[in-house]
Parts: sequence; C-alpha cells; structure tokens
Amino acid sequence: MKVLKIIISLFIVGFIIGILPKDLYSQQEVRIRIKDGMPMIPVALPGFVLTKDSIVDESIKKEIYETLWNDLKFSRVFKLIPKEHYSYIQKFNPSNITFKDWASIQANILISGEIEISKEKRVVFSFKVYEVKSEKFIFGRNFGGKVEFVRLIAHRAADEMMKKFGEKPIFNSKITFVSSRDGNKEIYIMDYDGRRKKRITYNKYIDLLPSWSFDNEKILYTSYRRNNPDLYMFSLYTGKTELLSTVGANYCADWSPESDTIVFTSTKKGNAEIFSKSMKTGKERRLTFNRTIDTSPNWSYSGREIAFTSQRSGTPQIYIMDAEGTNIRRITHEGSYHDSPAWSPDGTRLAFVSRIEARFDIYVYNLRRNVITKLTENAFRNENPSWSPDGRHVVFSSNRTGRYQLYIIDYDGTNLIKITNKGENKMPKWQKRVR
Amino acid sequence: MKKRLFVILISFMLIVFFSTCKKKEVKTEPVKKPVVEKVEEITPKVEKPVLTEEEIFQKRSLEEANKVGYLKMIHFDFDKYYIKDDMKPILHANAEWLLKHPVVEILAEGHCDERGTIEYNIALGEKRASAAKNYLISLGVPEARLKIISYGKSKPLVRGVDEETYYQNRRSEFTITKK
Repeated sequence: MKVLKIIISLFIVGFIIGILPKDLYSQQEVRIRIKDGMPMIPVALPGFVLTKDSIVDESIKKEIYETLWNDLKFSRVFKLIPKEHYSYIQKFNPSNITFKDWASIQANILISGEIEISKEKRVVFSFKVYEVKSEKFIFGRNFGGKVEFVRLIAHRAADEMMKKFGEKPIFNSKITFVSSRDGNKEIYIMDYDGRRKKRITYNKYIDLLPSWSFDNEKILYTSYRRNNPDLYMFSLYTGKTELLSTVGANYCADWSPESDTIVFTSTKKGNAEIFSKSMKTGKERRLTFNRTIDTSPNWSYSGREIAFTSQRSGTPQIYIMDAEGTNIRRITHEGSYHDSPAWSPDGTRLAFVSRIEARFDIYVYNLRRNVITKLTENAFRNENPSWSPDGRHVVFSSNRTGRYQLYIIDYDGTNLIKITNKGENKMPKWQKRVR
Repeated sequence: MKKRLFVILISFMLIVFFSTCKKKEVKTEPVKKPVVEKVEEITPKVEKPVLTEEEIFQKRSLEEANKVGYLKMIHFDFDKYYIKDDMKPILHANAEWLLKHPVVEILAEGHCDERGTIEYNIALGEKRASAAKNYLISLGVPEARLKIISYGKSKPLVRGVDEETYYQNRRSEFTITKK
C-alpha cells in the first residue's frame, strides 16, 4: 500500500513538472528587455552667450554648446528639454532668470553658459547650474583653455554635472581600437564620442586587440611585427613600446585593477591557455589547464575574478574563475558559441558575444538576477563589447553597414549611435576607470 | 743661242721629270686593309642543360618558390581543427616533398573563416596549424623544420559570404622559410 502511494505521488509530481511552463524552471531566459535605472533629471540648456569683451566666433560657441548638449543627452542621467520648448517662454537672460518660465516647460535644472574668446585664441567657458523649483544657484565652474581644446572644455563641464549628481564622469574617457583608415590595421585612441582620433602604432604588420590599463597610462596589444603574434605594451606618456612575450601566440591581454599584473592567452605550452604575469617581478603563472582552447580573459573591476572563454565542454562557452585560476564555474549554458566576455564596472553583469548561425549578437548576462538581455538585433556581426566606465553604455563593432564600424549602445539596448565612419574599425576597448 | 736651247731643254727635261714623278705618286696604290671575310666561331657546342626539378627549385628565390606552390594547402571543417580524410593525401604529398628536400624549413599558417570571434579564431587557427604540423611530424618530417603561426580571420584568402568562400578561408597554408 505504501509503495503504491509513493508511486502515485511520484507520478503526480512528474505530471506537475511536465505541465509547468518551461520558463519557470529553466535557468536562463533570453531576449528580455528591462527598463531599469533611475528616472532621468530634466535639464534645460538654453543657448550660450558671448561676453562683452569676447571676440565674435559663432563656431566656437556652437562647438561648446553642442558638445555639452550631446554629452548630457548621452549620459542617461539627464534628460534634455527639447529646444523647441524654449520658444514658448521668454528668451533666456543670464542676468535676470525667470525661473517660473523654465518650470513651466518642466525643467528641473537650468544651465547657463557664457563664453569669452580672447584675441590670443583662448577660451573661457563659465557655466552656472540652477535648480529651477527653488530658484537656487547650485554650482558653477570656469574652464579656460586654447581654442583647439574647446571640446575638452565642454566635456569637463559635462563631467562636473555628472560628479555633482553623484555619477562617474565619463566624458573625458577614451576608447582604443583597431582601424584600417590609413591602409593597415593599426591601433588608435579617440574620445568616447569618436572625435579627436590619434594613431599610436606605425608599422606595416597586423596590430590587434588593444587593452587599457586601469591607470589609463598603458595599452597592451598584439602585433605580428616579428612575424608572430606577440604581446606589446605601449606607454602613452613616454611613447615607449615594450615586447612582453617570447614564444607562441600571445594575445587577448587584460589588466588587473592595480595595473601591476596582466592576464593573457598564450600558446607557449602548445595550446591556448590563460596566464597571468606580474609586471613588477615578471613572474608568470598558468591559470588554466586543459587540452582545449582557453582564451579571452577579462579581469573584473574588483580584481577578484576573471571571466574567460573555454572550449572544454566542446563548444566555446563563458566561464568565471577566481583571479588565482581556482573555483571555475560555467556561466553560459544555452547556445553553441560564446566569446568576448566583458565585466561591467560594478561586477553585476557580463557582456558577451553569442553566435547563432553566422550572426553575432551582444548579450548582457545579469549575474545577480540570472537574466540575459540581448543588446543588438540584426542580421550582421556585432563583436567585442566593452563597457563605459559608468556601466551605462557598451561600445562594440558591427558590420551592419557592410564594413566594420564602432557603435555605442546603452545597457538596455537603446540609443544606438555610430562613432566611426572611415576605413574599417574594430576591437574597441573603453577606458575602465576615470579620475 | 745654243745656251738658250740648252736651258729650254734642261727645263723641259725637268718638267718631264717632275711630271713623271707626280704620276708615279698617284699610281702608288693605297695599302689594303686586311679584311677577314668570315670567321667561324669556334665556341664549344654545349647541349642545352636540362635542369632537374631539384635544380630549378634551388635556383628560385624563396618568394618564387612559394608562388609555385610546392606545398599544397589543406582545408578544415567549420569550427574544427582535425585533419579531414580527404586532406590527408595532400599532407602525404607535402611530407614526401619535404623529406626529399631535407634543408627546407616551413611555416604552417592557420586561418579561419569570418564566422568566429577574433579572440577565439586566433586560438582555432593555431590549433589548425599545429594539427597540420603534427600530422607532418607523424609522417617523419623533423619537428625542427616546422614552425606555426595563426592569423585567425585577419588574412582571408577570398572575400565573400557563401559557404564556398568560408571553406576556402578555413585553411592551413605552408610557406617555405628556408631552403
């Protein structure tokens, strides 16, 4: 009788599991768009004025205004009140602000900007920030510099806004990438918005996979200049280039948060394995031990963990291990091809590339919630994601226009912008930390 | 009178003498330059040399030798790096040739199609190159003569988006580096 009861109850349990919708017990769900985060702060940014003593140069005024506008629009912290609304109210007068008007078009924050351009081509940009409701001046800054640095001046102002509202300043952060714009695959750096590109390697060989140190002073990359994929380190402030590897293919380098240790893939033992190397002592340590491919190490911002790709299960999947190579756990289970893991700055999410048929898309795995979000969706290849220092944006490369170009998309799959146009541009890496 | 006649006679004779003298000078024939009519070259007849394949190979520069393609490339399956059965005869032929040319050193290049990530493809290309290398070693080619390099997907052989293109690009090529 008892045995029969057990059999019946087992049967019932089995039946219940069978009729449960799959989502309830499946570990991961794909293609969910989440709209989370804080509500954005409504900001009014009326046109800037030139001071009495300034020489008249509308293009400089416009450049500062538009750079600041674009930064704030990009931020996901501030929401700009559309310019058309400003025409409903009295014209902005910095010496006599009618706050009621600005409140009527739903502005919480009002920014006023004055520009003075001297004959010696120096610019002083003074901007003041007001809270509309309380009609109070919150803070103000003066930024000065040569005319050629007007974009930097505007980015600095936008960064001050971010800091004042408790956010990380990201507008002076840079992106390193590989471009063929001058005919050969070389390493470049540029502003986060794709402007002011600067080439840093000059050779006739293939240069690949650049990566910023956390202190933003060094870039590791792989170059074939010795007719072998070797690891090189470029120091931005001294202009020096150092060869770091000796034998085998050495690539996919990344840095520890202290910028004193690197982690990279090497085939020096005959198979792609992950190694770490102390930049102080030069001591190397092997972190993975198996006969399949282990590659793409990405150090978490806390320094505690390293995400990587391994083929140990038969197909390339994403794994996480402790920085010493222990405690390996598998992160991706569905799908047959994942690579390019990238930690978000807060360590709660991993961006990676997933291949379905011949297409690549970028996904974000929220480790805390165990949810996967798909960031890109088109019939092309979207590769090499890298996070902005504040974790709100992801830069990646895509061949959606036929040629590979760099794009930025927000963490929730919105606000796609294209930041390169010339030649082919790939393998972007955003600076990890800003000061 | 007689004296006058004598003078005339003398002068006449002189004229005659000089005129004959002059005539004689004109008559002297110029020295003929010796003209050799036909010279038979007596260079020794050499039979046109028939170079052996080996000698032709030795004559060529590395670049030319690589263009000729003494060593044939092999292709791989999608995402795979094992040597396919239909590629084995090619490696046998390559090994045979390498054993005939014991000083030749080669570089086995590993390449991938574009349907892989950059990072993973460098590793995959390396696996392909080393699979080819190990196969050649198993056929008796000394390891010291074989080096490998992976280019991942950065050096495609052909451009395109069809299966045939991808097949062409998933390959291991063999470059002669020393001979």
